[in-house]
Amino acid sequence: MIEVSNISKQVTTTEGSLSILQGINLSLASGESLAIVGPSGSGKSTLLGILAGLDLPSEGSVSLNGQNITAMDEEGRAAVRARTVGFVFQSFHLLPGLTALENVALPLELQGDKEALKTAAYYLQRVGLDHRTTHYPRQLSGGEQQRVAVARAFACRPTILFADEPTGNLDTGTGEKINDLLFDLNKEEGTTLVLVTHEHNLAARCGKRLVLAAGLQVDESLLEGPLKSPLKGSVKKKTPSKKAPAKKKAVTKPKAEAKVKPKAKPKAAAKLKPRAKPKAKTQGSKS
Amino acid sequence: MQALRMLLRTWRGGQLNLIIWSLVLAVAVVTSVSLLAERIERALTAESASFLAADLVVKSSRAIDPEWIVEAKQKQVRTAQVLTFASMVYHQDDMHLASIKAVEIDYPLQGLLRRTTTPFTSDETLIEEVDYGPAPGEVWVDARLLQLLNIALGDEIELGEIRLKATQIVVEEPDSGGSFGSFGARVLMNYSDIEAAGIIVPGSRVTYRYLIAEGFAAAEGSSVAKSFAEYSEWVKSKLDVHDRLITPDEAQASVADAMDEGRRFLLLAGSIGVVLAGIALALASHHFAAGQTQQVALLKSWGIAASRVRSLYLQQSLWLGVGGSLVGLLVGFAFSEILISVVREWLPISLPMAGIRPYITGMATGLLCLAGFTLPALWHLPAQSPLAVLRQDVPVKPVSSVVRVLLGVAAVASLLFWYSNNLILSLAILGGFGVTALATVVIGLVMLRVGKNYGQKLGSIWRLASSNLWRRKSQSIIQMVGFSGAIALLMIMAVVRTSLIDEWRWQLADDAPNHFLINVAPYELDGVRNMVREQNLETAGWYSMVRGRMTEINDQSITDDQRDRHESFRRELNLSWTTDLPEGNELTSGKWWDELDLSGDIAPVSLEDELAGELGLSIGDQITFSVGGLIFKARVTSTRSLNWDNMTPNFYFLFPEGLLENYPRTNMTSLYIPPQQKLLVNDLLRKYPTVQVIELDKIIDRIRTIVAQITSGLEVMTLLILSCGVLVMFAAVSLSMSERLQESAILRTLGSSRRLILGIQLVEFSVLGVMAGLLAAIGAEAAVAMIQRFMFDLPFAMHPWIWLVGPIAGGVLVGALGVGYSRKAVVQPPLEVLKSL
Repeated sequence: MIEVSNISKQVTTTEGSLSILQGINLSLASGESLAIVGPSGSGKSTLLGILAGLDLPSEGSVSLNGQNITAMDEEGRAAVRARTVGFVFQSFHLLPGLTALENVALPLELQGDKEALKTAAYYLQRVGLDHRTTHYPRQLSGGEQQRVAVARAFACRPTILFADEPTGNLDTGTGEKINDLLFDLNKEEGTTLVLVTHEHNLAARCGKRLVLAAGLQVDESLLEGPLKSPLKGSVKKKTPSKKAPAKKKAVTKPKAEAKVKPKAKPKAAAKLKPRAKPKAKTQGSKS
Repeated sequence: MQALRMLLRTWRGGQLNLIIWSLVLAVAVVTSVSLLAERIERALTAESASFLAADLVVKSSRAIDPEWIVEAKQKQVRTAQVLTFASMVYHQDDMHLASIKAVEIDYPLQGLLRRTTTPFTSDETLIEEVDYGPAPGEVWVDARLLQLLNIALGDEIELGEIRLKATQIVVEEPDSGGSFGSFGARVLMNYSDIEAAGIIVPGSRVTYRYLIAEGFAAAEGSSVAKSFAEYSEWVKSKLDVHDRLITPDEAQASVADAMDEGRRFLLLAGSIGVVLAGIALALASHHFAAGQTQQVALLKSWGIAASRVRSLYLQQSLWLGVGGSLVGLLVGFAFSEILISVVREWLPISLPMAGIRPYITGMATGLLCLAGFTLPALWHLPAQSPLAVLRQDVPVKPVSSVVRVLLGVAAVASLLFWYSNNLILSLAILGGFGVTALATVVIGLVMLRVGKNYGQKLGSIWRLASSNLWRRKSQSIIQMVGFSGAIALLMIMAVVRTSLIDEWRWQLADDAPNHFLINVAPYELDGVRNMVREQNLETAGWYSMVRGRMTEINDQSITDDQRDRHESFRRELNLSWTTDLPEGNELTSGKWWDELDLSGDIAPVSLEDELAGELGLSIGDQITFSVGGLIFKARVTSTRSLNWDNMTPNFYFLFPEGLLENYPRTNMTSLYIPPQQKLLVNDLLRKYPTVQVIELDKIIDRIRTIVAQITSGLEVMTLLILSCGVLVMFAAVSLSMSERLQESAILRTLGSSRRLILGIQLVEFSVLGVMAGLLAAIGAEAAVAMIQRFMFDLPFAMHPWIWLVGPIAGGVLVGALGVGYSRKAVVQPPLEVLKSL
């Protein structure tokens, strides 16, 4: 379903080349679920973007359903996304001028689905929002908005669902409900699920976990128990301190390998703290 | 359909409001101005046609070829013959050299004859309007003829061999205006009585007028207008040196001028409206595009290809363009109807319906505006990376602002030019706006910087406001360009309107001269002066002239061919003298007396510019004059343009003082005679029968009415343009509003007072407004200088009030708008504000 072979990502800045991801390998079968975890700035969202075909790696390849999307042009990747992929975002990304029903129906309509509104209504009902179909995003709570987003993602019947910190903007209780919803639907629809999260509980519910630290893939076995305690040992020595952001560290140590050296500092990466609440500005949709 | 559905949803969400308003207003302004301009133009053409009493007139010194009338009948074109000449009319012992006009029964073809049975009445209820002339055997006469011949209506007068019964008093003839040839009291008779009267013999000095007008019914297989056009062409091909074609425009130069200037002002107003709406559209589109980047990223993350995204936005733009333009057309039509109903009571004429052209112009404006302003703003959207759904920092590269400005300028320029068909006007408006925009960028930045430094020393509101302005400097500059552009354009319009109305003031003045007294002999001068003075009337000054004939040009006798070509070679001319160049005259070539050596044998003469051209004379040509048999030579030393509008005596030929005084001379003047003192004319004529009176009172009244109409039309137009200006300001204010509201809401959350928040907004916007107003004054002054110089031919003058009104109005308007907009931030709970953004 998803085959990732040795991908890395570098970007050029005024200070030189910056390595964001290095040597990531991954294989995920249909119907499996994967949590990408790691501290802020460890490259989680970049990896998600590359897996979903929204971005290209500097090296390596990604295959979705057997198709090497890194060898395609943007139009080709768009076509794969249209057929295969669904998204749930941290900041929901609902269109403010559209009602809940229209928000869910829009991607279907764009695919030329004549039954778009009907399907949308069905999925809204499945996320428990059948009484809110005519409401605009501003009239909905954060949890409700994310449920609309989940309905929108599943309505297109994707084979792979990517979720970028789906509960990052929600309180714990609401977050839990969204998580339940995600996994329930995932199970019912047989979707492959890839999610980026800070939350231990959520990561623990996934079949597989990919741990990132400073752009490097860390062996999941280094995590103690079901994500109960911070990363120890070699990981500690590799991960950057709070003062020196992970990305920059990678610049200064370009030769870092997947195998993490034992001297690196552990804290930030290992604790997998929930990301600080984003500012009000990034909440809701500004589109 | 998907695009339309998306557009409708976006519209419902309120994000399209500004774009739609701008578009609708742009189209509405252009449509209503075009509609109004075209309808007024058509009405005024009809009105000028009534000055001719026809749509077209052939004036000739020979009788009309009967073939012309046969052809006219075939084409279903209406015609009427008119013959004018001077002849003595008698009643018992009294006689008068009357100005006779013989007309066919269909006269007038356009306009109406006004007649009454009560002498010297101005009571409209006693005056009757008819579209036919006197029947055979009847005459309709000037009221003063009754007195001059001591007759009453019903009496008979003698003309040549026949007696004709005076049945009506002529109050006004549509085509009476401006003719300096009619000196005696009018006698209107039927054309068929001419032959019996036996007064026209070969060689008689008569003028034939052949009146032509569109028929009431079309000839078979053709339209009324087409038949008329074909016949006009046919007549034109038959003209020879004796004939002259007179069109409505030529019929009355003053009215034509006022019409033309009114039309230009409408164009100016419309053009300014287009530019304003264009700016509003550009700002609104910019704002809209900024809000669409997330949506596009989302669409692309769903796998919608860039080409599909572009197609979706193009289709939406097209729907928007067509829909907005259609609404604009309706609003424009409604506005022009409102405008007309407002001015209708002042309109003595009904406005004919306009053709399709104004609607086409309006539609094209909408689509062009969209292509020039909205599409460039949206163009980069399909290139938006889908990655932006995950990260805020994905760079979006919009079409470069230089390209967008150039596209916008190109759209406005082509609109302006297509619309006004006037290069100077288009350049002046673009130039004025360009100067303002450039000055805004350069001076604006300096002012913002100075403001920031100075603001730090003031209270907290000023400090915060001035650093906000500097922090958001690129946005502040864009807003300032919008504000200053709007203010500058509004001021340009106000200035031009004021100077136009000033220029027309003489026409609106109640005491503009309306009578000319000519042929006053030197020994009669004192007597006439006294009579005028006894009536407490004032003249425009007395001028002396001698009557002379041209006999040779450059020592070659005048040929028959030359005489045929221009009547100035056939008749006596009025020659006058002066030391200084008279008021309203302007040298167009050569030198005035003070730069010439006047001691030679050959007299210098200054010629009116147009006449010199018609006669084929230029500087250095020598003319031999014969004045009462005395011969003298003169050389053309200068040409002048004259202002015929001021109703003071003007002369085609002017000499220096001291050359003509010894020749037999007469005197002339112009003066205002109010209607109730009109009998002075009769007394004068009775006492001094050789004095000639030219009556222009009726024609001046008509000019005045038309000018008043045009002026009131312009006033209403100004309102529409003002609303465009306000829209630009709205667009510019809303540009930074979400950011401002967000900041205000955060400040509010942190416990800032309502006073502080509104104070910051007030200071920010007022400062922006004052700066923009100041910059607008620069642009307006530059554009007005160009427009006045090249378009309305007025001298350059500074307008101090602009420099005062600009900043004050800018500060107040923009400040009020800004605070009005920001009130939401202090009225609603902060969370609600943040959620709604």
